[in-house]
Amino acid sequence: MLDINIKRLYYGDKTLLTDLNLVVKPRERILIVGPTGMGKSSLLHTFNLMNQNYDGSIMFEGKDLREYAPHDLRSQICQVMQEPYLGEGSVEDVLQEPLSYHSNHHSNSKERRQRMLALFENFRLPESHLSKQAEQLSGGEKQRVALVRTLLLNPKILLLDEISSALDQNTSGIISDCIFNNYPGAVIAISHDPLWRERWDRNWTLQDGKIIDNREF
Amino acid sequence: MDISYIGLVFALLLLIFPILIFLQLKLKLIGQLFTSFGRMIVQLSLMGVWLEFLFTQEISWLTLIWMVVMVSNAVFTLRGRLKFQRHILLPIIATALATTSLVLMPWILIMVIRPQPIFSPEFAIPIYGMVLGNSMNSLALAMERFESGMSDNWRAYYTRLSLGANLWEAALPTFRKAMHASLLPQLLSVASMGVVSLPGMMTGQILGGASPLVAIKYQMMIMIAIFSGVCLTDYLGIRLYLRKRFDIYYLPKEDK
Repeated sequence: MLDINIKRLYYGDKTLLTDLNLVVKPRERILIVGPTGMGKSSLLHTFNLMNQNYDGSIMFEGKDLREYAPHDLRSQICQVMQEPYLGEGSVEDVLQEPLSYHSNHHSNSKERRQRMLALFENFRLPESHLSKQAEQLSGGEKQRVALVRTLLLNPKILLLDEISSALDQNTSGIISDCIFNNYPGAVIAISHDPLWRERWDRNWTLQDGKIIDNREF
Repeated sequence: MDISYIGLVFALLLLIFPILIFLQLKLKLIGQLFTSFGRMIVQLSLMGVWLEFLFTQEISWLTLIWMVVMVSNAVFTLRGRLKFQRHILLPIIATALATTSLVLMPWILIMVIRPQPIFSPEFAIPIYGMVLGNSMNSLALAMERFESGMSDNWRAYYTRLSLGANLWEAALPTFRKAMHASLLPQLLSVASMGVVSLPGMMTGQILGGASPLVAIKYQMMIMIAIFSGVCLTDYLGIRLYLRKRFDIYYLPKEDK
């Protein structure tokens, strides 16, 4: 699904990682681990064209990432950020906004509402929250709404950048349950959360400018 | 009725009030006051002599050349005022102001006023000056608002991108806010016209002896032309800026 051949990954002029040859298969759950500043986020951001600072190629479904229209690629490889941004308006407005983007027009509006409600239930968010103002939500609720918003787009790969670092254990547990039990695509995540550690198919450990690709912990 | 030079000196003496106020408040604006009014006197005097000459010539190509000088001056003044992304601004500002000029001025002269010849300097130059001056100020405000709106909230922009937005969709909320900030004051000033303010052009015409009814028609025309010009310039300016400010992956280019 994703075929990564990066000779050098840079941060500015500095080389962070060299000779990465990695493969991501459908439905695979991958955790990137390693000390801060080693290039975890820089690597994650190469997968959705947010970082071009590398030599080499990354193929997604047989085509180089750089050959895709950026918005088309980012509607298939979606990223959820550490601090979610929801914007103004009600929660429903927030969830609807990306569905109005040109790259997401294919989704069916009838099914959408049902999926929205199903995801709300999975993430243990009450339906009444749909009419609430997004700014009034707590940090944990905001992160869950951000995840629902992304999952509504049916991405093939989900990129998670430390999404549970600011959350309590309970919320972090709900989120990890939902992603592992219900989400059908591949997941590539950065996380320091011990709750998340047991469930991964494999982990990529960053060490001395290389990646060690382990099948299990 | 003409104003005598002695009368003008008395007008200048009115500046005694701001000077006294600045002195009492120890407001450091006295230097700027002398510079500003000094420049105004020199610039307007030169302009008066130049326009007097231009109006007696009635040569259309000379008017057109003068309009090019005016727009070039506006482009460089505006570029000097904006403090961000200066290496990409010149062609953007020039294209936005030039396109607006090319659309509006022939429209006004050929379809609205219809002077003979069409590019008579006494019509083309004052009207162009008002449209251009307002468009320039408004573009400065709109672009500043757009850039600061983006810089203050990159997280919002990146979030939209990471959900599949294209450049236009991701920048649209900030674009909208910048246009709103720039156009609302214009609309409010249009709404107050005639009630709160008697605008400069109309006052000038009435003092110059024109009938108030004629002056009003000119004023309506100029307000419409200014608003349309301002809106067009802001829109073109920000659209062109979007194309230069971001790379093919919609990521912001670095400021040099």
